[in-house]
Amino acid sequence: MRAAARTDTFWRRVRRFRSARTGWIRVACYASSIVLLLGVWQALGRSFGVLFVPFTTTMSQLWEMFHGGPLLPALGVSAKLYGVTLAIDIVVGVSVGLVLARMKLIAAALEPYVYVLYATPTIALVPFISVIFGFEFWSRVLVSVVISIFPILLGTLEGARSIPRQHLDVAAIFGSNERQLWRDVILPYVTPYAMTGIKQSIALAMVGTLVAEFFLNPDGVAAVLLQGTTIIDSAWVLAVTIFVAAIAVVLVGIGELIERYLVRWRRTAVG
Amino acid sequence: MATHGSRLAPAKTRQAGWWKRRLTPERIAPVVAGLILMAFWEVYVRTQLPDFVATPIGIVMAIPSTLAAPSFWSDTLSSLGSIVQGVAIGTVAGILVGVAMGRVREFDWFLSTYIRALYALPLIALVPIVIIWVGYQPEARLTIVVISAFLPVAVTTADGTRAIPKEYLDVGQMFGAKARHVWFGIALPTALPHIVAGIELGFARGITNAIAVEVLASVKGMGMSVFEKSGQLNDNASLVYVLALAIFAVGIRTLMVRSRQRLAPWYSR
Repeated sequence: MRAAARTDTFWRRVRRFRSARTGWIRVACYASSIVLLLGVWQALGRSFGVLFVPFTTTMSQLWEMFHGGPLLPALGVSAKLYGVTLAIDIVVGVSVGLVLARMKLIAAALEPYVYVLYATPTIALVPFISVIFGFEFWSRVLVSVVISIFPILLGTLEGARSIPRQHLDVAAIFGSNERQLWRDVILPYVTPYAMTGIKQSIALAMVGTLVAEFFLNPDGVAAVLLQGTTIIDSAWVLAVTIFVAAIAVVLVGIGELIERYLVRWRRTAVG
Repeated sequence: MATHGSRLAPAKTRQAGWWKRRLTPERIAPVVAGLILMAFWEVYVRTQLPDFVATPIGIVMAIPSTLAAPSFWSDTLSSLGSIVQGVAIGTVAGILVGVAMGRVREFDWFLSTYIRALYALPLIALVPIVIIWVGYQPEARLTIVVISAFLPVAVTTADGTRAIPKEYLDVGQMFGAKARHVWFGIALPTALPHIVAGIELGFARGITNAIAVEVLASVKGMGMSVFEKSGQLNDNASLVYVLALAIFAVGIRTLMVRSRQRLAPWYSR
């Protein structure tokens, strides 16, 4: 009995501590995880040698690559491909999605093929695309767009299809013309759906950019990564990988912020 | 996000012959569109492009000779075996870590920095460092597939087990549920649709990244053969491999959608 009582108070104390000091525990968890990782990395790196370099070596390598190294020019090349890809994704994806939602028969005709193309690993189509379109910029854009456009297209399509009949009826009753219908009913309704797709495409366009750069004559950041792989320089590759990860976190974060802002009025409806 | 045919065309159930009920315009349209697309592809390549470029007829003609080669079957076994094995390992690990992250806040705070950062990172960027660490070996492919499946499963499981409706927990508490009952009896079943979505994503990413490793690290497999055959100007054979990969990918995706409908019929998305 007494033991049970004691454990009970112990767990109760733990629970009280967890709820009373939430903020501190949170900070402590984040801080300790970062300190622990860097510590382990540093310690392992010192004992492993060439294959796994310490954290400090990696950072100084990154610093070197930035200042007069190959990283900045490569980043420019990749950023251009990424920007063009994302712009095409959004413009083409949203407009094709809206058009398909309006043209039921064409949508029914194309839907199985879109489904198969979406499921097919696009990376396997790279040789075929390169045989037809070559290895230059627009061929890269094509590969990258095929990889990243579907979430926007399918999201917009789903949104435009699920507009409740009543919304359209009310608009018709109030005698809105086609332009008003689009501005006041269709676009606001579709925006959160499209935005969920755009958030996914922001991440996928990075995959597309890297795939295009890896497999259609290496270029950009991917070429810098491959350069490090061929000379088996782990500091070089680690530094670039961490740099890419940092960019990815920032881009995904921006996507989430935009989505949260645009859909602030129906947050619960969007997973 | 999955949108597919069944939702689109509620077949009109008029009292007519079976052929009239079956042959709605919505059902005929895909066949017509497919024929038009393939005819266009065939004619365009024949008239505008060099004759080693793949055409639909060329691909069909290349199927027997490609399937007859033993290398096709060893490639398929090697790639798909590695993908299935890797996704299985990654799924189990991802569910365990995900449930822990979803149910214990401190665990989530401790790990989320890395899990979220890796989840945001296009995993194809990890291929070079994994090749350096593991070597130009099939194990590099397995490693990448495991990571590709682990991350989405861990993230979706954590999200799914975190967002349990409070009533479930209250009922559990009333019946005296212990922590393990809450974890595996309430949290895990509630999160099932999320987990299946995570596995689906894991397969999609795993297939892509397995191909990437094969090509970058010269590991024998289907992805390697797609690039090799194309390089030898045998584009038709290359696309037979792509077709096999596509069948596998579509099969897995369909299986996942079905199992999600089966496991959680109330969950519509």
